[in-house]
Amino acid sequence: MNVVVIGLSHHTSPVELRERFAFAEAKIPDALKFLRDSGIADEAVILSTCNRVEIYAATSLEPAKAFAELKNFLKTTHAFDEPFDDKLYALAGSQSLQHLFKVACGLDSMVLGETEILGQLKDAYKLAHQHGHTGARLNKAFQRAFHVAKHIRTHTNIQRGSVSVASVAVELAEKIFSSLAERDVLVIGAGDTSEKVARALLSRGAKSIIVASRLFERAQILAKEFGGRAVQFDDWAGEFERIDIAISSTSAPHHILDRARLEPLMKHRKDRPLLLIDIAVPRDVDPAVNFLENVYLYNIDDLQAIADDHLKQRKEEIVRCEKIIGEKVNALLDTRSEKTIATNVSDTCAEVPI
Amino acid sequence: MNYFLLLAAAALQTTAMVRRGFSFHSCPINNLYEATTFLSWTIVAIYLVVGIAHQLRFLGAFASPVLFGIGVFALMPSLDPPHGLQPDFSNGLVSLHASMILLAYGAFGLGAISAGMFLAQQHDLKFHKLRAVLSLLPPIQRLELVTFRLVLAGFILFTIGLALGPHLPKKTDENYWSDPKTLWSIFMWLGYLALLLAHWRRAQSNRAFATSVIAAFAFLLLTFWGTNLLSTLHHQP
Repeated sequence: MNVVVIGLSHHTSPVELRERFAFAEAKIPDALKFLRDSGIADEAVILSTCNRVEIYAATSLEPAKAFAELKNFLKTTHAFDEPFDDKLYALAGSQSLQHLFKVACGLDSMVLGETEILGQLKDAYKLAHQHGHTGARLNKAFQRAFHVAKHIRTHTNIQRGSVSVASVAVELAEKIFSSLAERDVLVIGAGDTSEKVARALLSRGAKSIIVASRLFERAQILAKEFGGRAVQFDDWAGEFERIDIAISSTSAPHHILDRARLEPLMKHRKDRPLLLIDIAVPRDVDPAVNFLENVYLYNIDDLQAIADDHLKQRKEEIVRCEKIIGEKVNALLDTRSEKTIATNVSDTCAEVPI
Repeated sequence: MNYFLLLAAAALQTTAMVRRGFSFHSCPINNLYEATTFLSWTIVAIYLVVGIAHQLRFLGAFASPVLFGIGVFALMPSLDPPHGLQPDFSNGLVSLHASMILLAYGAFGLGAISAGMFLAQQHDLKFHKLRAVLSLLPPIQRLELVTFRLVLAGFILFTIGLALGPHLPKKTDENYWSDPKTLWSIFMWLGYLALLLAHWRRAQSNRAFATSVIAAFAFLLLTFWGTNLLSTLHHQP
C-alpha cells in the first residue's frame, strides 16, 4: 500500500483556481467516505485552506492509477472541466511523506515557517480520524508529521522572528513593556498597516485603542471595530499622558510630532516608556525624538528591515529543516521495513505526469 | 540548565563553607577570602531564590561570569592568611550582622547585573534595532523593576545588618564611630538611600538609575577590601 498526495497550492495555482477546489468543512466527511467507498483510497485526509487543497490517501492502487482517479474525483466534485494538470502536483512514496512533513513545518507555506498551517493540518486529520477514514498508515504518517513539526520548531530557527510589519511592531512592544495587558494604544490617522498593527497589539492583549483621524466618522467606525474610542484629530496630543504606544500614519506632508512638541508631553508620563511607530511616508515623527529619554521610535523602514532580516534568517534555515525532514522520513520508512519498496516506488512515481 | 548548574555549584560551595565553618566553630567570614566567597555565595543564593520564578532566570546568564570573576579573585593567596587567634564569635549577633550585610551586598550585586542588562537592552532598542528584537533579554520595564526591587531588598538587609552593629561586643578602647569601615558603611548606606529616593521621586532617568546602581556596586566592590583591612573593629589581630 502506498501513501500518495495530490493537490494544488499557492505555489502552483492562483487563488481563483484554489477557491474553485476548496472543500467546505461540512462536506469533507462525505468526500472522504466517497473516496473510500469507491476504492480509490483505503484511508484519506483532505486538507483545504486558503492556500492549498490537498488529498492525502493510503491506497492499494498503483500511484499512476491513483493519481488519475483522484484528479477525476477533484474535477467531478467541483464540477470543473477545464485542463488544469499543470496546476496540480502529485507525489508518492517517500516524497509524499516529505511533502506532508514540509507542510506541517510551514516550509511550504506562503509565509515561510508560519504555524497556522500546523493547526489546520491537525484539524483536517482530526476530522478524518473522527469519521473513521484514517487507519494505520495515515495515522502514523500524520502523528509523525506533527512530531517533526514540533522538533523543527524547537531545534531550528525556522519560526524565529516576525516576518510582517505588524508582528514586528508587537514583538518590539513586548521587548519594552512587561506586559501588553495594561497598554493603551493611540492610532493617529487610520491606514491599512496601522490598522493591522493595532489589531495585532489588541490580539496580544493591549487594553484599549484610541483612534484619532482627520475624518472623525472614519475614526469612530474604526474605534467601534476595535472596541475603543475616537477623538478629534486635533486632540491627539492630549492623549499622550496615558497612552503607551502610538501608531502614526497620517498623510501630513510634514512632521506632526517633533522634539519640541513631545518633550513637554513626556514630562507628564513619569518615566514610562513610549513606543512610537511611524508608518507614514512622508514621516509623521521627527527622527530626533528618538534621542529623548524613554522614547523608542520606529519607522516603516525600520520595521520592514527587521521583518526582511527575519525572513532571510528563516530562509537560511531551510536546508537544515529539509535535512531533518529527510532523516525523519527515512526513519519512518525504516520502521515500516519497506524502505526499499517505497524508494523504488517514489523513484518511478514521484511527480507522475497526470 | 544554567539554573541547575548554578544550583549544583551553590550546593558544593555551601558544603565547603559549612565544613570550613564547622572547623572554626563560627560563620566562615573571618578573613577576606571567606568574605569574598561568602559574597559570591550570597549572590548565587539570592539568584536561586528569585530564579524560582522562571521569568527572572535570565539573571543567571549575566550573574555566572560575575560569580566566576569574584571566585577567581577570592583565590588570591594573600586574601586567605592562616587564622590567628580564634575570633570571638560567642555572640550570635556578630554572625547575623556579618551575614545580613553580605546578603545585602549580594542583592546589590544582582541589582547591578540586572541594571547592566537594562542598559544593554535599552541601547539596542534605540539604536541596534534588529539585535534588540532577536535578543533573549526580558522587556526593559521588567528589568527596571527587578533592579529596583533588588536594590530595595539589599537596602533593607543592609539597614538591619548595620543596625545590629552598635549592639555587638567590642573592646573598651575601640571607638565605633571613628572606625573606617563603620564610616564607609554609613556612607554606602546613605548613597543607596539617595539612589532609592531619587528613583522613587523620579528625580533621575531610568538610565541614570541603572548606571548609578552599577557604579555604586563597583565602588562597593573596589573599596570593600580596602576598608576591611583598615578597620581595627573588623580586622582581628
